[in-house]
Amino acid sequence: MRFLQWLVLGLAVCVPVAQADLPDYQAFPADGDRLLLWAAPERGRAEPELQAARLLAGRGMSVWSLDAVSAYFLPQLPSSMDALPAQDMADWLRAALGSGKRVAVYAVSRAAVPVLRGAALLQPAERQRLCMLLMYPNLYTVAEALSEPDYLNVGDLSGLRVRVMQPRRSAATPWLPGQLDHLARLGATPSHVMLENLREGYWMRETPTEFEIAESRRMDAMLLRELDAWGCQ
Amino acid sequence: MKRLLMLCAMGLGLAGAVQAAGFETRAATPAPALKAVDLKGATRTLADYRGKVVVLNFWASWCPPCLREMPSMERLRVRMAGRPLTVVALDSAETREEVDTFLSKMTLGFPILLDPDGSNTKRWKVFALPTTFLLDAEGRVRHVLTGPTEWDEGEALALIESLMAEVRAP
Repeated sequence: MRFLQWLVLGLAVCVPVAQADLPDYQAFPADGDRLLLWAAPERGRAEPELQAARLLAGRGMSVWSLDAVSAYFLPQLPSSMDALPAQDMADWLRAALGSGKRVAVYAVSRAAVPVLRGAALLQPAERQRLCMLLMYPNLYTVAEALSEPDYLNVGDLSGLRVRVMQPRRSAATPWLPGQLDHLARLGATPSHVMLENLREGYWMRETPTEFEIAESRRMDAMLLRELDAWGCQ
Repeated sequence: MKRLLMLCAMGLGLAGAVQAAGFETRAATPAPALKAVDLKGATRTLADYRGKVVVLNFWASWCPPCLREMPSMERLRVRMAGRPLTVVALDSAETREEVDTFLSKMTLGFPILLDPDGSNTKRWKVFALPTTFLLDAEGRVRHVLTGPTEWDEGEALALIESLMAEVRAP
């Protein structure tokens, strides 16, 4: 009987978590007062991301990890992220806010689009309670050589604090000011941090440098450091 | 289930929209300004290459596809010696030291230009690396390729040859 109780408890707190109108995400519970919603990129969730989530939970920060292309049975393409139901994402954010913990969101690459769209559906007072970290966000509708970039309108982001994390070794680095301006035009309060000696998706590269391998193993510490340095509470 | 089917259909639609990479042909419009320094510190502009077809390649030393296509660009340079073609590789937003580290591992005979502040990258609206522009002898952009290729064969070579065929003998 006790075994059954533990089994039910385990199923309740472990992965994946499936609720009506919420995307299927993997939960890493912790006792601390902070909760990180982690939206993996369009290429899917990589093992270093899961490992970082485990380590963060070990440090007291709960993590809800979402691999949206898997959860919604979509191809591993940037455009798949645009197809995610914004209302589901808003419900996910609301569920996190309802946990009573301090909530930060971490979205990678095109996954920034659905979480921003979800945030835009929240009430302003709810948005103000979020801290959103975007790792090399891709917010373009069109970005073609010799043409001015065109950005997605993800909705009203007034009151939302956003911090863009940009690996220096990226074709997107010269275009960071444009992405920050776009976020500001939508009402967000953007800031940024440059990640030196790293490339986009450094934790899932086929030929990573030694530094990238090391950084992949300490993504948990990097995220905590950046959240603390940012001071978004 | 209805939602799942809808999403699956959307996914298939998205997958179907993916197209193979290839050269884009552009209306012959004047190229943006190019102003960069070479490895000797001399300022270079497109005027330096006027009268020749130019293969202008934007790259970076951290970009594996960029490095993979470099040997074929060098073979193209050797193959076209004495003909009206210049290969120019502009390093995007890196330091001189980073470029030197790469060049110590690969010998290249074509000019390397530096764009440490990314100003040329922004002026040419380069959003992905490598991106390569084929310019005619009048300095107009004729073709654009985003992504790598083998420059001394196939479509790339055919396009370069067609542009060189337009060059009038002096």
